[in-house]
Amino acid sequence: MQRPRPPLSVLIVEDEALLAMDIEAMIEDIGHHVVAEAASLFDVEALSDSIAPHLAFVDIQLARQTSGIDVARLITKRWPDTFIVFVTANPKKIPDDFAGGHGVIPKPFSRSGLKSAIRYIEEGVCDPPPTSPQPSSFLASPAFAASWTG
Amino acid sequence: MEQRDDWHLTQIVKHDLGRGDPFAAAVRATRMPMVITDPSQPDNPIIFCNEAFQTLTGYDREEIIGRNCRFLQGPNTDSATVSEIRQAIAQGTNIEIDILNYRKDGSTFWNALYLSPVRDDNGTIQFFFASQLDVSSRIDAQAEINRRHDEIEGEVERRTAQLNDALEAKTLLLHEVDHRVKNNLTMIGSLLRLQARTINDPPISAKIEAMLERIDALATVHRRLYQSEDVSRFDIGAFTANLVSDVVGASGRDDLVVSVDVEPIEVPSGHAASLGLVLNEILTNAIKHGFAAGRSGALSVSARKADGHATIAIADDGPGMSETQVDGLGRILITRLSRQVGAQAAWEAAHPGTQVRITFPVEL
Repeated sequence: MQRPRPPLSVLIVEDEALLAMDIEAMIEDIGHHVVAEAASLFDVEALSDSIAPHLAFVDIQLARQTSGIDVARLITKRWPDTFIVFVTANPKKIPDDFAGGHGVIPKPFSRSGLKSAIRYIEEGVCDPPPTSPQPSSFLASPAFAASWTG
Repeated sequence: MEQRDDWHLTQIVKHDLGRGDPFAAAVRATRMPMVITDPSQPDNPIIFCNEAFQTLTGYDREEIIGRNCRFLQGPNTDSATVSEIRQAIAQGTNIEIDILNYRKDGSTFWNALYLSPVRDDNGTIQFFFASQLDVSSRIDAQAEINRRHDEIEGEVERRTAQLNDALEAKTLLLHEVDHRVKNNLTMIGSLLRLQARTINDPPISAKIEAMLERIDALATVHRRLYQSEDVSRFDIGAFTANLVSDVVGASGRDDLVVSVDVEPIEVPSGHAASLGLVLNEILTNAIKHGFAAGRSGALSVSARKADGHATIAIADDGPGMSETQVDGLGRILITRLSRQVGAQAAWEAAHPGTQVRITFPVEL
């Protein structure tokens, strides 16, 4: 598989406009590029196949009574190479298999927490395994963590 | 004389036959209901019953003699009990059993039946001897106890289910509130970050940055709350380690040698936010003043408890500073919030650098 190179293309799935703006600003600060924002599962369904993001940040409780878990499954189906990170205040809602997701950033996050998580993920996506120590702001899914250490 | 030899007594005691027989007289007069049946006759009929038996069952002698004992049984008599008795008779063995019997008037009583074969010298069964005892009160009491027991068990089950439901509802509510608090804190952080981007005035930016750091410290507190089974306790030791990595990470300083040595220290959850903010002020100040102007160095943080007190120490190897160098709001926060949770913050010269020790009482 062809490893992506920075800047990474990022999809933000978040129904809270403030948070979406904030996350987008931080991602752009680091030098990556936000290709799309979505507030619900329907929004993700409506996205063009061609955006094929390298990385997706996915909230769990989304607009129009939809769930980020379903979004993660859809992303896995549409863009199998996309690296999925849940961003949620309720990490306990994530199923054991992470619905195909690769990790979680628990809310509330700090600027430095989010940035160090993104840097760590970038290392994992572009040149695994990551060389930085895993920041406390990011928890890799069990299956994914295993693939890095293996 | 052994108890098992006492039947010899009946041979020793001299008596006339018939009504003068003292044993027969005793059987006739005893308050214990008794019957004798003759298995050599068809259907093993009763050939003798005493007065107590007539009183117990309500039948006259004429109605009793010649009938098989089963006439005392009725619709609610347990058939398994009946067949046990039948088996004992067939095998010629003793049996002691409680059976539900019916009086002549149709009322029931619990009969503690004792049935025993009487054998002749050759061992052939000549008679069956049966004694009855009305034990209804005992059986009823037992039934009542069983009924009460079932009732209480049912009640306990019902209450337990109610408590479990209530606990589940409470847990759900706690998670919901926790979720909302976290979301709101995230939004507050986002608002401040978005605002900070629009400000180009360095002194104001610095103040907004300091405020963001405080919000982040509160956010870290909230991420760690409710993680343990006991929601009323908070591990300030683990939190300290977490906060150090956050604050150092946020400073963007990769030139600091950071050593962290903490042990678990539980404080009431209500103290977590205050202690968290105090630690945040001290840490951010240590980095700002201890390692000012890009000076690299070592930051060491420890959290220990001993003798009912916990001490969190934050030391830098910088030029040394006093409490008065901490900016206005930071100093006020440290003083007031420490006092609020019964903690004391002490600033000491560490040669080189400064060590700040926060001490507070803890339960062991």
